[in-house]
Amino acid sequence: MSERGPTTVQDEERAYLWRLHRILALYVVGVLAFLALMTWAERQGLSRHWIGPIFLFLTVMVYAGIGVYGRTSDPEDYYVAGRRIPPVYNGMASAADWMSAASFISLSGALYLQGFAGTPGQAGGLAYLLGWTGGFCLVAMLIAPHLRAMGLYTVPDFFHVRFGGRWPRIIAALAAVLCSFTYVVAQIYGVGLIASRLTGVQFEIGIMLGLGGVLLCSFLGGMRAITWTQVAQYVVLLLAFLIPVSWLAYKQLGNPLAPLVYGTQISKIADLEAQLLDSAAEHQVMLTYLQRARDLEERLKDVDLALEREREKGRERIRALRAANAEVGLIVSASRELSSLPRDAAAARERWTREMRENYERARPLGGLPQHSQAYAGDPNGSPQEQSDYELSRRNFLALMFCLMVGTAGLPHLLTRYYTSPTVSGARASVGWSLFFIALLYLSAPALAVLVKFEVMQNLVGSSFEALPTWMAQWARVDSSLLSVEDVNGDGIVQFGEIRLGADLIMLATPELGGMPYVVSGLVAAGGLAAALSTADGLLLTISNALVRDLYFHDPQRRASPEQRVILTKFTLLAVALSAAFVAALKPSEILPMVSASFSLAASAFVPAMVLGIFWRGTTRQGAVAGMLGGLAIAVYYMLSHVPVLQFLPRWLMADGLWFGIQPISAGVFGVPFGLVLTLLVSWITRPAPAMPVIRSEM
Amino acid sequence: MPPPAPPLLRQSHDAEMAGPFPPDLHDVRHLRLKAWLLLVWAVVSFGAAYFARDLRFVMAGGWPFGYWVAAQGAVLVFIAIVVVYAWAMNHFERQDARLAAEEAAAAAALADAAACAAAAAQSSGLDGVGSLGHDALLTAARKVRRDV
Repeated sequence: MSERGPTTVQDEERAYLWRLHRILALYVVGVLAFLALMTWAERQGLSRHWIGPIFLFLTVMVYAGIGVYGRTSDPEDYYVAGRRIPPVYNGMASAADWMSAASFISLSGALYLQGFAGTPGQAGGLAYLLGWTGGFCLVAMLIAPHLRAMGLYTVPDFFHVRFGGRWPRIIAALAAVLCSFTYVVAQIYGVGLIASRLTGVQFEIGIMLGLGGVLLCSFLGGMRAITWTQVAQYVVLLLAFLIPVSWLAYKQLGNPLAPLVYGTQISKIADLEAQLLDSAAEHQVMLTYLQRARDLEERLKDVDLALEREREKGRERIRALRAANAEVGLIVSASRELSSLPRDAAAARERWTREMRENYERARPLGGLPQHSQAYAGDPNGSPQEQSDYELSRRNFLALMFCLMVGTAGLPHLLTRYYTSPTVSGARASVGWSLFFIALLYLSAPALAVLVKFEVMQNLVGSSFEALPTWMAQWARVDSSLLSVEDVNGDGIVQFGEIRLGADLIMLATPELGGMPYVVSGLVAAGGLAAALSTADGLLLTISNALVRDLYFHDPQRRASPEQRVILTKFTLLAVALSAAFVAALKPSEILPMVSASFSLAASAFVPAMVLGIFWRGTTRQGAVAGMLGGLAIAVYYMLSHVPVLQFLPRWLMADGLWFGIQPISAGVFGVPFGLVLTLLVSWITRPAPAMPVIRSEM
Repeated sequence: MPPPAPPLLRQSHDAEMAGPFPPDLHDVRHLRLKAWLLLVWAVVSFGAAYFARDLRFVMAGGWPFGYWVAAQGAVLVFIAIVVVYAWAMNHFERQDARLAAEEAAAAAALADAAACAAAAAQSSGLDGVGSLGHDALLTAARKVRRDV
């Protein structure tokens, strides 16, 4: 290659780029043609039972095909895709890598449910949107180009090269595994949700199906295969998001460019909200929920007695039904109700406490949803309670935004992506392209939330329970926490307070809500799947690399050929994927809280030591170790202190209530400054003797 | 085109307990650029969010301003920040490369001139340049050549 002139190399690069552009264009045309074909088939009477599985199967097969085609055992290809991914495609792949099930499935739902900033008890809404985009400014300026300039393979490599010794690398690798694993569990949960809805199989089987797709892509090919799979997945997920949004915008406003025109719907929603706040029927619903909550509170005063009384009541009812020769269906449902009562007092206490909280929540105006466009709950000029609500709501919004932004700059699976670009300048351009491709979807997400809310308030509220569409029952069957509609006040008409939508449902149900053809539902599900799979791919690769490359093979006794290392990495990946699927099958939590937690962890563990390591030459090995451990420890401690499952531990072990009213999800707010101060302090204490280190000024 | 081998990594793997590697010295212009852009970033995200309740006036298109900034405006500014940063850094790097090239060219020209002068002095046998001065000139020319 040395005898070729620079122009030949440039020509070759350009030809390579054009070939990629051509392939991408063909692929997009292919996806659109497939959509047209499916629409035609649906018109011709293709059953819905087939459309979902066809979408699921075909897209996964395409990704797997790309994965097989791009397979490799060459270490340079396996870890960093040969460092020859052009910035545009690197940006696209990073965008797919970045936009997980949380962005695609839950973000619009969170914006629908939480409006601007969420409730005082649960911050959210636009904090997610700002956090997940604003973090890229930090990545672009503080981290990515500097890491790329060092020519490394993984994030723990940075800690190894910068600080030397064993511990910085080991801690970084373990922290990478911790936050990536939390994240990947959320993705696999999303995969299971989609697969079970689309194919009608059980949630657990859905998880296994999706896992097969993940493994097909990442198991064979490593970074190179994953990058091209992610580009393919980005196209699917972007189309899957933009088509329903544009459809709704065209239906409501006559213009498909949703992000430019949805403003008018905001003021209409404000008017509808005002109407709902005055409506008598809504007040009736609120009172019923309040009554239920009070009943539950009463029961909780003496759980054993109440449980016995409930059982007796159930038996009494079955006896009465039998005596009256009632329908079999009624008797069966009554005995099912009886058997679904909690088994013992502890279970009863847990369940009733939860139900009481939910009922109190729904007994609030608008079903507990904040007014859509109002920034923060409460009122800065109102009663003391309202003032404190306002303060807490705003503080938690800013805290969550901070954690998500800083976490973005610390998530190893994202940072690894910028190792794949050919040059340092390419790494900077890649970050720009990533943010552009992410914004294409993120600018539409608040529009979707507003349009769906208008659709619900305008069309669903006030319709009769008899005429409820069938999709609602289907979703309620997957998981009752996703959707429940109940005629609480018995007037046969749907009130806003009677509808309860889960954050993870809204995007997936949008096509059905807007009356679109079922093909769009299939596409949206395929998009959600693409989002979850692409992120899971990147995360699994990061975890297995950290375990094998950064922990196992750094032991000097273990020598192996590069191929053997890659093979071992692949098997670790398999093991990690299976254990993540196992955890996800337990349904530990909703998608968003899990993802936010992993951001807080990444922010606390990596960012202080990494930024100081890049920008301050005085950072020492001991300082970095102390900062990483301290930041991570504080964040984990604060989060675990508020996990309900761990409340059996002695009280003195736990954090004392909420610190400054900050919710546990935003534990990074404490972890990052603590890590920063600790790194500075310990570095200063352990600073080397006056002899300055050798200065290297070349990049 | 094969990627350049990552020398740092090789080095660190060969020496298992590699010593710490201090970061590059940061150019003051780069740091100043970063500081300004980070300030814009903080104002548009944290600043706008902090005062969102006070920015409720309705702008064109029906959005309350505070809502629009948080939902869309901030994201557009973030993109602008990253693009400006990438552009400015490329600009600085091109400038540095050009300066370095100019310096190198100037040094080479100087060396050539010196060598010519020395050669001319020797061949013409003029006493204008003493033998000592002429040797020094030659050494200097060689030194400059080597540096270039």
